[in-house]
Amino acid sequence: MVEPLYEVLARSAYVSLTATLIASVIGIGLGTALGLARLPGRAFLTAVVNTGMAVPTVVVGLAVALLLWRSGPLGDLGLIYTVRGMIVAQVLIATPLITGITMSALQLLPPDLPDQLRSLGANRAQRVVRLWIEARLPLLAAAMAGFGHAISEVGSATIVGGNIHGQTQVMTTAIVENVGRGEFGVAIVYGVILLGLAFVINALLVSVQRPGASWAQS
Amino acid sequence: MGAELSLTGVRHVRGGREVLGVDSLVVGRGEHLSVLGPNGAGKTTLLRLLAGVESPHAGDVTVDGVSTARGGVELRRRVAYATQRPGLLSTSVRRNVELPLRWRKVPRPLRGELALAALERLSVAHLADRPASALSGGEQQRVSLARALAIDPAVLLLDEPAEGLDAQSRSAFFADLEQALADRATTVVQVSHRADEALRLADRVVILVDGRVRQVGSPDVLNRFPADARVAALVGYENLVDAYVELDGTVLIGGSQTGLTSDLSGPVVVAAFANGVRIVPADAPGLPVRVTRVTPGPGHRAVALEGSVSLLAQMPIYGSSLSVGDDVRVGFAPALTTVLPKASG
Repeated sequence: MVEPLYEVLARSAYVSLTATLIASVIGIGLGTALGLARLPGRAFLTAVVNTGMAVPTVVVGLAVALLLWRSGPLGDLGLIYTVRGMIVAQVLIATPLITGITMSALQLLPPDLPDQLRSLGANRAQRVVRLWIEARLPLLAAAMAGFGHAISEVGSATIVGGNIHGQTQVMTTAIVENVGRGEFGVAIVYGVILLGLAFVINALLVSVQRPGASWAQS
Repeated sequence: MGAELSLTGVRHVRGGREVLGVDSLVVGRGEHLSVLGPNGAGKTTLLRLLAGVESPHAGDVTVDGVSTARGGVELRRRVAYATQRPGLLSTSVRRNVELPLRWRKVPRPLRGELALAALERLSVAHLADRPASALSGGEQQRVSLARALAIDPAVLLLDEPAEGLDAQSRSAFFADLEQALADRATTVVQVSHRADEALRLADRVVILVDGRVRQVGSPDVLNRFPADARVAALVGYENLVDAYVELDGTVLIGGSQTGLTSDLSGPVVVAAFANGVRIVPADAPGLPVRVTRVTPGPGHRAVALEGSVSLLAQMPIYGSSLSVGDDVRVGFAPALTTVLPKASG
């Protein structure tokens, strides 16, 4: 049975947007800690994050699959070959990228800004929120980069999701499958639609970060 | 109501070097204290310690007897610190001024009123709805100051508040600052490396050099009785020349009479403001010098003189007809000249 294209498209968007949302929460939090706090082992953690940004998605997929495999340490969760398992893999793919960009964004703010906020009477939480607002454009860019990385990856989607029709097939795995079957026309259509989806979501984010679009409210 | 500030036995180290060492300094309630010193003297460090942004490595900094290291956010909220860069946030001018009020849980309607009143005091209320990033340097300085004043702080700390402004804007800025502070009992500590700004509004001035307090006194005392040549240079004495005091108190420069006397003896430094260097008649005691440069300035001419020492004089733009190459004798107006011990310079 051939699954309607819109269902594959919706599943792709759901998996990658959910993964991006979770990865943004983790990545912005971690990037803030690494960018602002004087943590012991900060240099080591930064190196780990930078390495994570360069890890091939297929390697992430392999590691997640080994963990989620029915006989693996997290096998009881029953996440292998599920959408939730794919989300876990994409969270791991997007998080280092978002963490790294967040860290850089906060470090690029004027160095005396945290102290200035402190001297203006902001408590720790108020300072962090204000710094996020000041760095909102690069933080949005971080989320966009994370989403782009997640929706375009095929390695972990194939290994962790299994490309099961009607259950875990997403746009990228569908393209690979159709190319494998010699259905280049279908693969091209999927590719163009995937590009369109990425464009629409990025265009929405860009419209939010237009210069001056939000200064009055922030 | 202003607060009393106190530093006791304070030592602060940065990069392995002691950048500030203050044995004792008290700023009274409502006092305006200026801290004058060259770049790197520890002025900003002093303000950061008073603001509670940093804690000293040794000693205690207190606001009304409460240590800034232990006072927490509640103590910091009594202190407003306007940093050297205006550091406005990327939002509207109004929101910039309102944010510290919001952090102090001031009700929203009152926030708007207080913010607008503060902006009005600094003559920038018309900019309230503009993005802060669209302001000129002078406007940003005023908004930064309005933001500091809006919270009605017990202590106002100003770090080179007019840095980066042109002369005209500086003058207007300080006039507005003076007016904004006129009916307040706020304790103010202002740091500057410019004597004219430091002395302008101060009740007392601290001279800070290499992290150490060199002299404390009223602007008049510092002007008239600088402790040493370094202080004299900071206060604005343009001429600092080696001299010698004979046993009878006569001050000689390069063996020539100066017309000055002193209670000191032996090698000294004569500090003279440029407008205290006067042309004297040929038969009066004075230094023989040659005019090497005449530079027009606002309302005066700056005249460079070379003899046994180099001097800078200021002559009225009308009434003096000195030209390069003229040989003249100069003396010193005692009220604009002081004789300082050489060893401490």
